[in-house]
Amino acid sequence: MNWQAFALTGRLATLTASILTLVGVPVALWITFSRRQWMFLVEAFVAMPLVLPPTVLGFYLLVAFGSNTALGRWFERLTGGTLAFTFSGLVIASVLYSMPFAVQPMVAGFRSVDRKLMDAARTLGAGRWKVYSQIVLPLAWPGLLTGVMLSFAHTVGEFGVVLMVGGNIPGATRTLSIDIYDQVQALDYHSANQTALVLLLFSYTLLCAVYGLNRRTALLDSR
Amino acid sequence: MSDLKLEIRKTFNAKKLHRFALDVRFSSPAGVSVIFGPSGSGKTTILQCLAGLTTPDEGSISVAGEVLFDSRRKINLPPQERRVGYVFQDLALFPHMTAADNVAFGIRSNGDQRTRLVRDILERFHIAHLAGNRPAEISGGERQRVALARALVTNPRLLLLDEPFSALDDELKQAIIGDLKQWLAQNSIPVLLVTHDRSEASLLGERMLLMKNGSVVGQ
Repeated sequence: MNWQAFALTGRLATLTASILTLVGVPVALWITFSRRQWMFLVEAFVAMPLVLPPTVLGFYLLVAFGSNTALGRWFERLTGGTLAFTFSGLVIASVLYSMPFAVQPMVAGFRSVDRKLMDAARTLGAGRWKVYSQIVLPLAWPGLLTGVMLSFAHTVGEFGVVLMVGGNIPGATRTLSIDIYDQVQALDYHSANQTALVLLLFSYTLLCAVYGLNRRTALLDSR
Repeated sequence: MSDLKLEIRKTFNAKKLHRFALDVRFSSPAGVSVIFGPSGSGKTTILQCLAGLTTPDEGSISVAGEVLFDSRRKINLPPQERRVGYVFQDLALFPHMTAADNVAFGIRSNGDQRTRLVRDILERFHIAHLAGNRPAEISGGERQRVALARALVTNPRLLLLDEPFSALDDELKQAIIGDLKQWLAQNSIPVLLVTHDRSEASLLGERMLLMKNGSVVGQ
């Protein structure tokens, strides 16, 4: 087991899921409650990583990270280095790549909240912030938790984008999935088997938690 | 001077063949006015316009001299600034909060005063023993009382009741209406009760507005 890759993957997934909690909730609220006609454009944009080859996203990010773009130059001025092939670049890529896995369950959670309850809250004097914080968020929490857990799991499992944007630098961008690829390339099937089994068990356990949680809340709601 | 004055028009064009136009004008003094009519006659839409949850195409609404809506003067207070109590047909109690928290939700003051207001109104509606229970844990009649208490504790200047008693048996209905009447005796505000149940209309109503196809056809 490559513990360095293990720790790096854990750090990347935790950071990505945390950022997606902060970014995903407002985006999901916006998608759910905006009445703008063009909202489907935003929804489609957020969902794009679901269908796009990771290499395509990785390629564009690599270009964006270069010193020919405003983002690349800004980051270079700030830190003196580039985003490509660094952990920071990997975090940005992961946030974009796992965005739909966070946002879509959150939107589903927000859509499940009865609009009547929001209306009732407003007639009781609640402004927008109070309606969101005291009615919508507490009632949508299974969707929020699902979004956070799925974005974590998806980040742990990503491969193509990491390879494109991060390369394969031990301690900086070599995640577990890249490590398995390396082990197979080196014909070290024993190590590959170990790492793969760890990822398999992790994914299954986490998905069990997600589906178990959702089933439990569904049962509680129907009582 | 607690009168409600209302004059609104709204057209719905959801489906081309089912064009529905609401065109009503009435005023009601303090006390209970019943809006009576078949389903689909626009009763609930009137309440939603009054609460600010739906915007009329044109017209004006005022309560106790204060304008809530006026299309010509471009006034349209949002629901949270209207101080209109609204008891929904399915009550819309917050399922994740206790009865006491549901009732406390709309109170603006804090601390001791808030606690006292909640306790007083729960006692008044005979549900003080249920303060710590969530809506799913109490009976239909008790939920009804919580919903009334939640709307009244905010001291609304207008109360809207959308068939709130339809699911209750007569005995329970009369008991709750009795409590409501007692509260109204001390708080003189206009109340609009929407119903299609004649016995409910006669039990509570002092005035009656007959609705048909979006208009008031009799008083």
